[in-house]
Amino acid sequence: MSLKQSPSRQIARAERKAQKRNEALMERSGNFHAPFERSSKSQKLRRIPIYLLTVVMIAPYYWMITSSFKSVEELQQVPPTLFPDKPIVGNYYDSRFDPLNYQQDVLQGLFQRYTDINFGFMRFMLNSIYVNILITLFTLFIGSLAAYVVSKHRFKAKRAIYLVIIGSMMIPWQVGLIPGFLLVDSLGWLNSYFGYVVPALPKAFIVFFLVQYLSSIPDELVEAARIDGAREFTIYWRIILPLLKPALIAMMIFTAIGEWNNFLWPLIITNSQEMANLPVALAGLRNSGAGNVGMQGIIMAASLITSIPTILLFFLAQKHFIRGIALSGIK
Amino acid sequence: MKTKTTTNPSQSKKGFYKWSDAGASSYLMLAPFVILFLIFSVYPVLASLRLSFMRYNAICNPEQSPCGSVGFGNYTTLIFDDSRFHKALLNTSIYVVGAVLIGMVASLALALSLQADTKSNRILRVIFFLPSVTSGVAVVLVWGWVFRGDDVGLLNALISKIGISPVEWLATPSLALPVLIFMSVWGGAGFGMILFLAGLNAIPAMYYEAAVIDGAGPRERFFNITLPLLRPVMVYVGITGTIGAFQIFEAVYLLFPSGTGSVGGLRDMALTIVPYLYDMGFLKFRLGYASAIAWVLFIIIFVISMINIKLTKSLEDLR
Repeated sequence: MSLKQSPSRQIARAERKAQKRNEALMERSGNFHAPFERSSKSQKLRRIPIYLLTVVMIAPYYWMITSSFKSVEELQQVPPTLFPDKPIVGNYYDSRFDPLNYQQDVLQGLFQRYTDINFGFMRFMLNSIYVNILITLFTLFIGSLAAYVVSKHRFKAKRAIYLVIIGSMMIPWQVGLIPGFLLVDSLGWLNSYFGYVVPALPKAFIVFFLVQYLSSIPDELVEAARIDGAREFTIYWRIILPLLKPALIAMMIFTAIGEWNNFLWPLIITNSQEMANLPVALAGLRNSGAGNVGMQGIIMAASLITSIPTILLFFLAQKHFIRGIALSGIK
Repeated sequence: MKTKTTTNPSQSKKGFYKWSDAGASSYLMLAPFVILFLIFSVYPVLASLRLSFMRYNAICNPEQSPCGSVGFGNYTTLIFDDSRFHKALLNTSIYVVGAVLIGMVASLALALSLQADTKSNRILRVIFFLPSVTSGVAVVLVWGWVFRGDDVGLLNALISKIGISPVEWLATPSLALPVLIFMSVWGGAGFGMILFLAGLNAIPAMYYEAAVIDGAGPRERFFNITLPLLRPVMVYVGITGTIGAFQIFEAVYLLFPSGTGSVGGLRDMALTIVPYLYDMGFLKFRLGYASAIAWVLFIIIFVISMINIKLTKSLEDLR
């Protein structure tokens, strides 16, 4: 036994030695996996610009948050305070506010505005949430159905259909903006949830992405299910959907964030205030209070409320999101 | 159709497909997407092409100013007579070149410096990526507040600390495009960084190992291994970045309104193509003319993408 083992041991020892030598060599010439980072001291110095840039990245967020807690008086202060001296929540809700009794230093908070529409500012949040859930659910459903057929069925028109779908991704969506508006108008869908949701459902990118993903799933799986007598929709529901889960999660986050931040389309299809989504309401708030320094606190409060959900979603599903981007970029 | 199910399916791909039913269920499952796609994606594009050859506006009156075909009229007006469009085109071109070039360099630099998988790098990556998921309108409004022209603006307060008098950032024609480019790089560098990181991680470590054994220094490794192997990612980032930059809207619409209920700011200093399209289509209701603008935008983006793809292909053939 020992005789048999010894040569392999020798080889192992030689290998370890060689590896050590190689590692030493690598050490001297920098890190392989991050070949452009130097060793400790100069590395730390080199990271100073990155930290400065990080400050620039964070600064607007910091300014947005702190400004939303400043009083009118403090917003007008020169130079501006880096941290609110006396933080107030009046930009969101001021309990002293009385519509019949105007006072100089009392604000009409964000949630006290829009008295003529149900739920006030909450209405825009509800609009955004409602539209978002509907679009995300249905767009993924019809997109994954189409992707399954394109990827695992064969019939004559399939290639042509898929080519048109892919080709449409090259066209900037603003090209169809005006006829799209006229179409939605003639359907009577202006200022309605239909106008938000239905035109947003067919997303070529989702079909493209899911077809790419499905191509790595063997056809035999579908085949086996067919032999067992499963119907096509059952195969989709029981086999394809579970397999697509990671891709669907990535696309779900893509769609949800994109729709939440959507601005131009909602801007043109809504002209009654109560149908606005958050970005449109935000823009309206800005246009009504542009130039007024005292309004900035309220505008920043609304901006913060608009930004938080997508940032939260991103944090919750960061891994899927990043993987989705990376996949779509590499392919 | 049904009789074919009896043939043995497990032979080859061809056999599988022959056996696969291409009957009603395929079309049924494809239908929801395809029908909506035809109505809301394909039809508007074609209709917009038709509209672009028409006079079509809010006061279409068959007796006084009839709407109808004007041939290439909209296009010739755009290209030869419309000085606002020329300004928009010039602004957009400067903006796209600046935003894409600086954005790509910034993304690559970020990816290289945050490549190592350490905890602090992971946190920094998230911070740099945050603008990509933040509402564009919110971001623009915050920047508008930071760039405010008087003393209460954050930036003016900061530069007054080093003795520079307040600058009207958003009302100085020569500063409009730099401000827009800055905002674009701030907002987009993190997205490019993620793509470059994916590209960097896909480069096998053994290439670097071999290069080190051959005595290549960090600089040589960067120019001879990293850059060539990143080319596909660079093409992708470049094309998507260009397409995205051409479509800039929020920042111009919100930060550069014009006094006359129009967009673009003082003397159209920040007017770009999509805000101009919006202005013509939805503020002046010249829908035919706006459609022509949309098609010019499409043609420009298409040509640039094609040039980009062809160029990189021929570069690869050279190698």
